[in-house]
Amino acid sequence: MTSIRRWLLAALLAALAFAGLAAAAATYVSAREEVDTLLDEELRQVALSLRDHAVLDLRRLESVAANPAQRVLVQIWDPAFDRPYISRLVGTSPMPRTDEGYATIEHDGRPWRVFTLFTGRQLVQVAQPTALRTELAARTAWRLLLPVLVLLPFLGVAGWWIVGRGLAPLGRIAGAVKERSPTALTAVPTAGLPIEIRPLADALNDLLGRLDQSFSLQRRFAADAAHELRTPLTALNLQVQLAERAQTDADRARAFERLRQGIRRATRLVQQLLTMARLDPDAATSTPTSVDVSKLVASVVDDARPLAAERGIALNCEGVADPACVSGSEDALRILFNNLVDNALRYTPAGGRVVTTVTRDQDAVQVAVEDTGPGIPEEERERVFDRFYRGRSAEATGTGLGLAIVSQVAEMHRGSVTLEAADSGGLRVRVRMPAALPGTERPPAHRTANAPA
Amino acid sequence: MRILLVEDDAMIGESVADGLKAEGYAVDWVRDGKEAEVAVSATPYSLVVLDLGLPRRDGIDVLKGIRERRIDVPVLVMTARDTVRDRIKGLDAGADDYLIKPFDLDELTARARALMRRAAGRSEPVIERGLLSINPATREVTWRGESMALSAREYALLAALAERPGLVLSRAQLEEKLYGWNEAVGSNAVEVHIHNVRKKLGEGVIRNVRGMGYTLAAE
Repeated sequence: MTSIRRWLLAALLAALAFAGLAAAAATYVSAREEVDTLLDEELRQVALSLRDHAVLDLRRLESVAANPAQRVLVQIWDPAFDRPYISRLVGTSPMPRTDEGYATIEHDGRPWRVFTLFTGRQLVQVAQPTALRTELAARTAWRLLLPVLVLLPFLGVAGWWIVGRGLAPLGRIAGAVKERSPTALTAVPTAGLPIEIRPLADALNDLLGRLDQSFSLQRRFAADAAHELRTPLTALNLQVQLAERAQTDADRARAFERLRQGIRRATRLVQQLLTMARLDPDAATSTPTSVDVSKLVASVVDDARPLAAERGIALNCEGVADPACVSGSEDALRILFNNLVDNALRYTPAGGRVVTTVTRDQDAVQVAVEDTGPGIPEEERERVFDRFYRGRSAEATGTGLGLAIVSQVAEMHRGSVTLEAADSGGLRVRVRMPAALPGTERPPAHRTANAPA
Repeated sequence: MRILLVEDDAMIGESVADGLKAEGYAVDWVRDGKEAEVAVSATPYSLVVLDLGLPRRDGIDVLKGIRERRIDVPVLVMTARDTVRDRIKGLDAGADDYLIKPFDLDELTARARALMRRAAGRSEPVIERGLLSINPATREVTWRGESMALSAREYALLAALAERPGLVLSRAQLEEKLYGWNEAVGSNAVEVHIHNVRKKLGEGVIRNVRGMGYTLAAE
């Protein structure tokens, strides 16, 4: 596993060591230059002093050459002698003659710096091993590098501690997240967090918030569903007992008919619950397709014709606008219109009429389903959208989920559902959704975490 | 014995009403809280069977309303709200007993009998009135030690008169106890039932109290 702490520390120490070495190298180069200038001048001074003063005053020559601090070698060629005069270093072979001025030569197995001066008669050579210059420059560089090297271990320890302290907020967040249980997804505390970690904590809190919301929705749904199953189960339980007790054949037949109704209702409730649970709230936004509502409603109406005929209700599909496209999920929209038509057929007495109308205006598609049933009293129109709410006039097999599903799907498509009294006294349900221009996919805006579910 | 049933679900209401009627009770069934309040203040019921999740007015509010108006009818709450807190809330609001959905019809009728027995101030399950003995659990009636076969209405008539010793009930009161709202009552229906009971058990079992109504024979 990579460690930010180890990596930071190693990188910092390496950078520091590199900087130290670079500084030492630069110092070495510039010190070397300075030493060169300085010592070259010294060589020249020695040579000049030899020319200006007693050229063959050997004693003076001795005193100059013998000065160990000078560490110079003086060699003088005089045409009067067959071999040159060489200060100290007895046994050393003479340096070769060099041209006037500075030169670097190889002599006696090592490099020398030589200054040559021609006095007219004599050739004066003042030389010095270059090793001395290197040594001087290296010593300067070393003096610079040494404190850095001494400080490195100390910086290592201090750096370890500082980086650790800097990363501590991450550890705190990890601890806070670890404490969260799936049932208590509260936000992690962000007070006092450094700005580098704040975005992480905020993103985490956003996720936790959305998770919590989705969990509590699921929990509530499961609780509601379990609770709501009690009603049909209670009815079934009672209906079975009445069937068992029936004394006459007529009573028994009646009891069984009721029992069958009870089973139909329980089955329908389970189906609706499944539909609701399977409704993916993101289906309309994640992979939106262009759905022609006119065609869809016509197909839903066709599917419902047998039921309408069985109940003796006239079912019509009117005012088809062509095309009337919305962007979203066809499956979800089919569930929506199925529920509307089914509801209308359920609540309309025999001989009644159910009419669907699809219209399209500038920017919206509207579907109205109108029936000649009893309608919904105004004071109940809000509540019927609640899950499991069944109105006062609710028919025995209603599940209380139909309109909740309708409004959920409409919301997924950024639409709205309104209930109103039809002219016939029945109910008119209007679903209005933003239209999509055919061919131009215009995905609905993404739901944010704060959008009402 | 007339019972008010308050239940919004058509299937459950129908079944409970049928089950109670089969036990010989007169049952009035209403489907929302407001109707329940009207009914309970208009008619003296022996028992109210109350669902809590009601349209228009919540069951708990109906219950509180009944108790605030000092109507001391026994109330049996039947509900799907099953947490301990819900039950405590229900009982504290004035319920006498609590039945969690789904329940058995037998349990409902047993609890109904127990509540009505206690309301009548009895603790023994079998009612003894002189030579007459009535067992509400089995609806068995014995007269002079002999088991009698009675119709549901005839049984209900005897049970109503036997509710308290020395109880005198007028014809109208008996009619109210024997018939629910939706039942067609012939003008002399109660007299016909009294006549039939006297024919089966003997003239002496029900006595006329002049100007007041009917009572069970003391012996």
